[in-house]
Amino acid sequence: MPMKQKNSTKILVTAALLVVSLICIFPIFFCIFTSFKESTEIIKEITFFPKKWSSVNYDYVFARGAKYLKYYLNTIIITLSSVLITMILSALSGYAFARLPFKGSSTLLGTVLFILAFPLAAILIPIYMMEYDLKLLNTYIGIILPNLLCILPFSIFIMRGAFIDMPKELEDSAEIDGCTVPQTWWYIMLPLARNALVIVLVSGFYNVWGEYTIAKTLATKDAIMPISVALTLLKSEDWNYGVLAAAITLSIIPPIVVFSIFQDKLVEGMSAGAVKG
Amino acid sequence: MQETISSRRKARERWGRLFLLPTCVILFVFVIYPIGYTLVLSLCDYNFAFDYHMKFAGFGNFVKMFRDPVYLTSLANTMFFTLVMFIFLVVFSLSLALLLFYKKKHSWFFRTAIFVPIVVPASLICILFSFMLADNFGIINKFLMSIGLSSWTHNWLTDATSAKWWVMIVSVWGKMGFCTILFLSGLQNIPSDLFEAAEIDGAVGWKKLIYVIIPNLAETFVVVGIWAILQCLKLFVTPNVLTKGGPANATKVLYQYIYDTAFQNFDMGYASAQAIILTVLVMIFSFLNMKIGKKEGE
Repeated sequence: MPMKQKNSTKILVTAALLVVSLICIFPIFFCIFTSFKESTEIIKEITFFPKKWSSVNYDYVFARGAKYLKYYLNTIIITLSSVLITMILSALSGYAFARLPFKGSSTLLGTVLFILAFPLAAILIPIYMMEYDLKLLNTYIGIILPNLLCILPFSIFIMRGAFIDMPKELEDSAEIDGCTVPQTWWYIMLPLARNALVIVLVSGFYNVWGEYTIAKTLATKDAIMPISVALTLLKSEDWNYGVLAAAITLSIIPPIVVFSIFQDKLVEGMSAGAVKG
Repeated sequence: MQETISSRRKARERWGRLFLLPTCVILFVFVIYPIGYTLVLSLCDYNFAFDYHMKFAGFGNFVKMFRDPVYLTSLANTMFFTLVMFIFLVVFSLSLALLLFYKKKHSWFFRTAIFVPIVVPASLICILFSFMLADNFGIINKFLMSIGLSSWTHNWLTDATSAKWWVMIVSVWGKMGFCTILFLSGLQNIPSDLFEAAEIDGAVGWKKLIYVIIPNLAETFVVVGIWAILQCLKLFVTPNVLTKGGPANATKVLYQYIYDTAFQNFDMGYASAQAIILTVLVMIFSFLNMKIGKKEGE
């Protein structure tokens, strides 16, 4: 009898999870399938799966839509540079916070973590005015630098956590062998922290890839806009949902793929970051 | 010997400062200085498009705010969104975490499906939803019609009440996964002997939930709760893309109004004053978070 009860609970739990999972991924798959439909089917029929698979929307995005490719390029440039800079800075700062303490460094750490919670609204207004005066509006660097604020504090926190857990003997023996501090950091410690670096890379990647507020404020010209902003503005202009769905599909796939690959590591990192941060 | 150790420590301190220098420069230029600037601006009249100089206005902007019906509407909307979304986020994500905790094996698909909205760019998913909710060819209206519920069809995003709900639904969709992760890791941190002890005492099902799980999740509740409140206060992308704050300010949130004031009317002084109020609200909750987090660490 109890065995039977256990089985029925199991089935109920699985069924509930299945329903929720399908609801969660419904919009994503709806978008993917819509992108393979022709526009008459999108407007007239109600189907989830395309009746006739067609690549016409993708042809449009790749061929006629040179501007779409430009938006992707912008997103890629902004994302990769922000993530690269963040990896370097967080590896340096995380190591300094964990292993090279000096007077005032714990206060500094508190400040960094506090920034994690700051609403962008409070700093975007002066940043906009500053960038206007320095002619940095609508430049890559003008978007990349503020983007660092969103991902750097969490990344520093993750890197610090990784370095703090490493045995001290490693550093001592490296120093006896004549390594300077930067050499120890680069050759001995950093390779051991590569799991944390992966978390920094992946979380930075998807955060900047989909970033909207900063880019919307600081990029007003087509030439510099990332896809996350550009498509929201296109919406009212050329109201072709098939093309739009294709463009959206192409830009939500990279973060989803990256996430599925690194899921376990990332989930671990995220829970650690939120609980302690 | 003594001397080399102390000089080694000195060297490490020097390197420590040097390692932190670039980060500090960025934080100073893009956070500390802007916050100071916002504070100054909030006390001034300054239209970025017309004025050459800031005019000191005392607390004029703050007084104006609480007489501005649009500001009060957006404040009320933010509070409403925060309250409702907070409840939904906590209830949904706790339930999901419990389900995932129960089903440990073969749950890769479920976990991925539930967590994946975290990484999907919010602005793009909002475009998609505005497509699904469109009046005449949106899939939701078409679906309702096809099952004979034509009377339920709706112009979802131009009706004040339904627009509010859809903003909240889409936001919860995007944020639920993260809360679930937090609850799940909280559940996994409960020592397993507690469960065993409870089972020996005859606790099953609901009893286990009430007597073992909930009390041991107290800290996680606080972390999730504060995270959720902060996210709701800072809500911007979903209302901005889905409805632009409309219809008739029904989904206008504090953040949206700051954005409009600053980057459409260029009334930087007034926008800064609003930003200060939002920052104070956010700070209160993050401060609570840090205090409680510290307690846990001890």
